[in-house]
Amino acid sequence: MVEISAQQKSWGVSYGEMVRREFVKNKLNVVNLVLIVILFALAVLAPFLANDKPFMIRLDGKLMFPLFASLTASDYSILLAAAIGIWQLILIRRNRRNIEPSVRGQVLTRQLLINASILLVGSILFFVFMPRRLDATDYKGLISSGRASDAIFAPIPYGYARTDLKVREQPPSKEHWLGTDDVGSDVLCRLIYGSRISLSVGFVAVGISSLIGVFIGSILGYFGGKVDFIGMRLVEIMMAIPVFFLIITIVAYWQRSLFNIMVIIGLTTWTANARFVRAEFFKLRNQDFVQAAVSLGLPLRSVLFRHMLPNGIAPVLVEATFGIAGAIFIEAALSFLGFGVAPPTPSWGQMLSLGVSTTGRFLWWLTLFPGLAIFLTVLAYNLVGEGLRDAIDPRLRKAA
Amino acid sequence: MIPTMLGITIIVFGISRLAPGNPVSLSMGPGGQLDAQRAADVRKARMQLYGLDKPIPVQYVNWLKHVVTFNFGDSIKHHRPVIELIKERLPITLTLNLIAFVIIYVVSIPTGMLAAVRHKRFFDQFSSVVLFMLWSLPAMLVGQLLIGYFCGPAFVSWFPPAGLSSNQADTLPFFPWLTDRLWHLVLPVICLTYSGFAYLTKQVRAGMLESLRADYVRTARAKGLSNVTVIFRHAFRNSIIPVITIMATLLPAMLGGSVIIERIFSIPGMGMLAFEAVTTRDYNVVMAVATIAGLMNLVGLLLGDIAYAVADPRVSFESSV
Amino acid sequence: MNNSTLLAVDDLSVHFFTEDGLAKAVQGVSFAIEKGKTFALVGESGCGKSVTALSIMRLVPDPPGKIVSGKIMLEEKNLLRLSEKQMRHVRGNQIAMIFQEPMTSLNPVFTVGEQIAEAIKLHQKKDSERAWADAVEMLKRVGIGDAEGRACEYPHQMSGGMRQRVMIAMSVSCQPDLIIADEPTTALDVTIQAQILDLLDELQQQNGMSILLITHDLGVVAERADDVAVMYASRIAEKAEAKPLFEEPLHPYTQGLLKSVPQLGFEGERLATIPGTVPDPLHFPSGCKFHPRCPVGGQDKRCRTVEPELREVRPGRHVACWYATDYQTQQERNEYESKYRQ
Repeated sequence: MVEISAQQKSWGVSYGEMVRREFVKNKLNVVNLVLIVILFALAVLAPFLANDKPFMIRLDGKLMFPLFASLTASDYSILLAAAIGIWQLILIRRNRRNIEPSVRGQVLTRQLLINASILLVGSILFFVFMPRRLDATDYKGLISSGRASDAIFAPIPYGYARTDLKVREQPPSKEHWLGTDDVGSDVLCRLIYGSRISLSVGFVAVGISSLIGVFIGSILGYFGGKVDFIGMRLVEIMMAIPVFFLIITIVAYWQRSLFNIMVIIGLTTWTANARFVRAEFFKLRNQDFVQAAVSLGLPLRSVLFRHMLPNGIAPVLVEATFGIAGAIFIEAALSFLGFGVAPPTPSWGQMLSLGVSTTGRFLWWLTLFPGLAIFLTVLAYNLVGEGLRDAIDPRLRKAA
Repeated sequence: MIPTMLGITIIVFGISRLAPGNPVSLSMGPGGQLDAQRAADVRKARMQLYGLDKPIPVQYVNWLKHVVTFNFGDSIKHHRPVIELIKERLPITLTLNLIAFVIIYVVSIPTGMLAAVRHKRFFDQFSSVVLFMLWSLPAMLVGQLLIGYFCGPAFVSWFPPAGLSSNQADTLPFFPWLTDRLWHLVLPVICLTYSGFAYLTKQVRAGMLESLRADYVRTARAKGLSNVTVIFRHAFRNSIIPVITIMATLLPAMLGGSVIIERIFSIPGMGMLAFEAVTTRDYNVVMAVATIAGLMNLVGLLLGDIAYAVADPRVSFESSV
Repeated sequence: MNNSTLLAVDDLSVHFFTEDGLAKAVQGVSFAIEKGKTFALVGESGCGKSVTALSIMRLVPDPPGKIVSGKIMLEEKNLLRLSEKQMRHVRGNQIAMIFQEPMTSLNPVFTVGEQIAEAIKLHQKKDSERAWADAVEMLKRVGIGDAEGRACEYPHQMSGGMRQRVMIAMSVSCQPDLIIADEPTTALDVTIQAQILDLLDELQQQNGMSILLITHDLGVVAERADDVAVMYASRIAEKAEAKPLFEEPLHPYTQGLLKSVPQLGFEGERLATIPGTVPDPLHFPSGCKFHPRCPVGGQDKRCRTVEPELREVRPGRHVACWYATDYQTQQERNEYESKYRQ
């Protein structure tokens, strides 16, 4: 256990801290959180886990590092994002120790903004300056032909786009631990890379949906009256639209692309967030601190987002975790139907659709493993969301 | 209601017109064997034919006029009026969904109630975990596994892997035909129901927990009523109210899910129609399906509102519509 | 236990086993309610009076609460030993309870008439029609106009005062021997409070039933109660008939309570209070639970270490205080008073 300094004790326990403690009381929640972290690690470290280029190889006597040389801009961006994420978590820990609660929020916001900007600028720089290197050298062939030696490969020595029609539709074996798909790509490798797609869809879609929902919900909740009346009609229209049909309608008219899917899911699922925030804001609107803020002449955006929102954000966070699970589901469903990302980009849903081959054989490994991947990921997020909800609720009840 | 319906039609129409390309050039395809002048003429003629040369608001109104009379035009792929296709397929999807709906309710309500009464004890925790796992299982996985293992040579062959009826089924008299139909529906219904269990059971449980803690339950006990009466008459009657309103949201979720189920089991319903239409870019059908799905949603929501007003005496009908 | 006693609570203890620890909500509480009389149980929030009342009805929520010891004798029967089925026969029938919050104590989805008739049908085995007629009759008796019409209304259509009348009608409908009224007027407007209490008095006289009145309002106690027990932090501090208690309170806590009631005509004087706050049931002080706030025994070693028992210091006067038991003469009393006045 972490010892709490005397200073921390005197500050008391913040709301986030209370929720965190309640959350970790249940071991199941911790296990799920660990599972999610592992998934993240898989997604971030994918090129190091499964790659057909070796870390190191001696070619014609010279020592080369093809794997590192072939890392793409997106790989670097993802690594940068992970590094910044870890740094931010360390900072939060430090904040809790050293900074007084009342200014902690400001400090945290400032840190988040700085880190996000670093990430953004870094990613842009990567994409602009990193040349696209396509390395199609058959390193394994080089080894067997004797030109190269002393190679260290990644644990799963296959590339996700590498096809090998000689070994298509093979059940799990020593060479391909989870089998191969219809064009001979290694299933395990594509599974690992597929996690990137799933997780990014989850987060971007939920990010968009949360932003829109919070924005609309806060305005409706704060103003009430006519604004609320008209606004709720709009929200109801969005709610009445069958989301899945809308998504496939949009997909019918636009091209298939990962970005489109993320944006569309985000644009169609914000209504739940809006409703939650609106309900919270209705409750908060009449509280004294809000009236105090308004009477001090603070601008509207400050009242809404700096003062009221932190108090009403809890249901949004819970909904966000469920939303990530839902978005992963939707993306898998779309890819399964053929409306999602296009090959060779790996997607769990698309892999699932290959379960029954064109010859009618049941390729169980193509059904089971991607299905399990989806299942475990969604389960982990759902359970974490539920755990979060339970952690927040008794706190609220006791504090009320 | 009306403004919501208008809103839906505007959105559906807007999508179809905002997309890059227009139906005519897409149906004509790239390139082609006609020379440039001929191609332009054909395009112009077609656009006039479909009314695509008029300004967009006018197009919308025209389309809307047709929609109101359920005239959705003809399917480009099937060369038949869309409304006929829908009339054929809608009942199938509705049947599938209604059966699933009933099963979900019949199973979830007792389970939720039991979980609430045995709060935090074994049944509650156990069912909670099981239900979460069911909720997280993707239908595609379950469907394919079921087909793979129960319909074919791999394991056992108890159920048919596809379709709604066996071949030559229409030659059978009524009861055998019905049995055959039901036999075909077993697996699809299983796929459609299992995920609904989790959601509804959780809601029933939450509602019951809240009711059981309420003051009026304490009053009922103080009157000397038996535990059974207290739970089933007092607590249940109150907790059922939020559950009814969920009916409204459950139906649209299942409609969306049936697209996948119908695809996996090759059932010729609305979902399958939508799927085919999207893959073949059959725009009339796509728009029709989206509009009809929206309409069904609205009906579901309306029914939910009415049921809510009936169940809860605190709510008057006018205030909820 | 004599013939005029209806209900005798003997050494009742109720503990709550919570996540945060063991809370001894009620400890060693004993009192007796006479037939046809009103017994008031007074104390601040959290002293255990509501839990005591719930224990009589055996409605204490079982996890986390448990009645760990004691007897509750109703006419030769120990209520704590009855089976659940037998207890249900007692509830609503021989002992009825009225709760504090009329807003939430009535089921919102059933009409008022149905809820009253339900009890009648259960205990008096009447059919629906007769039960309904009785229910309407009850509504009339509690002073609700247009009883037939009102019986078909839902609770949300009625005001707080009217709902409380409905609760009273429901509890009196089966002619119980004892009505437990847990803060029946706290949630109501002051003008309505008097009406409700008058109603209870009237019904008491008509039916000859006893009332256990739970309240923190001393004014109500002074007006309506025959016997009083003052509770503090899970124990009874003082027990006596109403008039002697108010004329001459013996326990420092009771004295403090009475002193802190604002009085007309005393302007310019500072309002007396009892310093400190009621202790948390999870962390009771040692010895006499009142000692941290007591002007008399705050520094006394005995008060700090040993819990005083409830003793009959004079006929009909029971006090749980080391100092109260000790003085008998006027001189000692003067010393005591001067200590208290400082």
